[in-house]
Amino acid sequence: MKTKLKFLIKQSLDKKMKTKWFKVANILIAICIIGIANIDRIITLFGGDFEEKREIVVLDQLGKYDIFEQSFHNIATSVEEMKNFEIKKSNDSLDKITKELNQDNDQIIIVLKQDPNEYITTEMISFDPVDTITYQLVLTALNQVKSSIVLETSGLSANEIMSLTSPVNILKTVTNEEAKNAESKDMISSGLILVFIVPFFFLITMLTQMIGAEINDEKSTRGMEIIISNVSPKIHFISKITASTLFVLIQGLLLIVYSIAAYVIRGLLSATGVISVSGEIAETFSSIWNTVVETGILELLLKGLPFILILFIVSFLLYAILAGVLASMTTSIEDYQQLQTPLMIILLVGYYIAIMASQFDGAIFVKIVSYIPMLSFLVAPVIYMLGQTALWELGLSTIISIGFCILFFYYGLRIYKVGILNYSSSKLWKKIFKSMHQKN
Amino acid sequence: MLKVENVTKYYGDFKAVDNLSFEVQDGEIFGLLGVNGAGKTTTFRMIIGLLEKNEGIITLNGEKIDYTKTDQIGFLTEERSLLTKLTVKEQVIYYGILKGLDEKTILERLDYWLARFHISDYKEKKIKELSKGNQQKIQFITAIINEPKLLILDEPFSGLDPINVSQFMEVIKELKKKKTSIIFSSHRMEHVEMFCEKLVILVHGKSVLNGSLKEIKKSYQKKNIHVKAEAQKEQFEKLKGVVSVEQNAEEMIIKVDSEDYIPKVFEEVKKCQNVTEFRVEDPTLNEIFLDKVGVVYEN
Repeated sequence: MKTKLKFLIKQSLDKKMKTKWFKVANILIAICIIGIANIDRIITLFGGDFEEKREIVVLDQLGKYDIFEQSFHNIATSVEEMKNFEIKKSNDSLDKITKELNQDNDQIIIVLKQDPNEYITTEMISFDPVDTITYQLVLTALNQVKSSIVLETSGLSANEIMSLTSPVNILKTVTNEEAKNAESKDMISSGLILVFIVPFFFLITMLTQMIGAEINDEKSTRGMEIIISNVSPKIHFISKITASTLFVLIQGLLLIVYSIAAYVIRGLLSATGVISVSGEIAETFSSIWNTVVETGILELLLKGLPFILILFIVSFLLYAILAGVLASMTTSIEDYQQLQTPLMIILLVGYYIAIMASQFDGAIFVKIVSYIPMLSFLVAPVIYMLGQTALWELGLSTIISIGFCILFFYYGLRIYKVGILNYSSSKLWKKIFKSMHQKN
Repeated sequence: MLKVENVTKYYGDFKAVDNLSFEVQDGEIFGLLGVNGAGKTTTFRMIIGLLEKNEGIITLNGEKIDYTKTDQIGFLTEERSLLTKLTVKEQVIYYGILKGLDEKTILERLDYWLARFHISDYKEKKIKELSKGNQQKIQFITAIINEPKLLILDEPFSGLDPINVSQFMEVIKELKKKKTSIIFSSHRMEHVEMFCEKLVILVHGKSVLNGSLKEIKKSYQKKNIHVKAEAQKEQFEKLKGVVSVEQNAEEMIIKVDSEDYIPKVFEEVKKCQNVTEFRVEDPTLNEIFLDKVGVVYEN
């Protein structure tokens, strides 16, 4: 029977993976992940109007052009959008350069004028409206010109001006040792939700659909009768659960590979070149790593990792068992899809609670949910990483899930045995409740 | 040897099979006949272990049939049980391995059977691309790939043309020679009559006729008298014991209730002119089947 079980698992896995559609789907997923991660680089790569230099023509009636130019360049070095601007001084009349403005000559004219009350007044003239970012950056440069004039006329020293205009500095001190680095922790944990939870949501959806399709395929062709006449429903059930869980684990690993590839390609697409890419990646990882170590997340993660991994795998199995049982009860994929909807809603509930967990620190409800099987794998690791629960609580969630997994399998198998050879939907629930009383 | 003893199966309150008993010896071909819903498929499913019986015992060579025995059984379902997305090769390997065979043996046997059924070119084709008849051949190959000791064939000739039916029959006869016990169902009585040695006729799950075909026919009272002569239907219809008279272009068929009435018919035929044939035959299995099923329905 072991040979047959191994064969059924292999057969089921091959059926999912050795198909051109698996390859096509994975190529598309890889392209999408790489594409989404690099969408800004891709847009830049293809070029466009944003590459054209836009001129800022300054009519200086104030004699402060050099200060404006210097300020503007200082901002340009730190702001990506300003790099495509060219700034120049004009001695022509305002009328003349204004008349020259048209579709092809999209200059921004800045007129610097003296103002007896406000020190400086300016005029901005352009053919097309100026976007908000450009407007704000020109305004920042002009404010610096104004500060310079004030400096000259007020008799205040540069340091005094700086002190007056600089923002108030707040030194934050938290006396609770455990709550130190809470912001970083929240930030990292929120990242964890996106990095881990979203793919798990996607993988479980895939898992339940796959089991349903496969079981219904065998049922609808009556191949099930031949299979079940040679292997017990128990072996068949185990093979379906194992193969589907293995498949999503492999698919999960592939998603990680695609994400790494996306990040590497992002670096490669950067104008700074390949050598600096490795530096950029190393720098980013180093920064994340330092935060992870300093905030104590690494220590928490290492302690909780065995439980987290077991919890994830057990939860996959739980969903697989439930999906298998539901699929065995149905006679077509359409019926199964309707039964699958509540499963997806359960998954969504877990997902939203996991996302909201950081906003409701210490919420009893969230804690209770973290013990509920099928939801715990989304919530328990998140609140553990946020420091809201202890390691033993994560362990308890894992043990409860294992217990439910065994229970689901035990009773699920009873339904499965009856369901897979049932081709009629009449008195279905009666048959199911009756099967629950039959011994395995 | 397959032995079915006093087997009863209920679906809720409905009795699908009622105290059924029969034996199929090694190298014997056994027919399980009945109209739709008579309990044939339920009986097959109980033999193979897909359904639990409520009462009775089913044994193969004296041992209860469980998953340690199913490798010795071949099963062809009435409906298509092929996974249509697989190729012929993948499909036969799939079911072959479930029968405990290794891939090398399966492929050797598959090549033999594909050649035998003249479909070697379809080895790499997907099942869904094959015609209904060719799918039935593949299904048949999957049922016999393990060289079973017991072969269960539920409507094996469905969807086959006469040439393919004769190919199947040839193979079934070969398996019989190799001492395979074969049990099959069919709606086509001529097929059953052609090579079936023993049979059971089921009506509403109950056996109404059970035994060897020869004995059944022999013990069956009604006879058919074939007459070629210048005669009128009416002169025979009025005779006592005559059930019906059929006149066709070549001959007249007079059905009588029992052998006792044959002399009277013979006397009447002697009165006719140009008598070229007077032949007494046992009724066909189809007639016996219709008669038995009809009697029970009338009750």
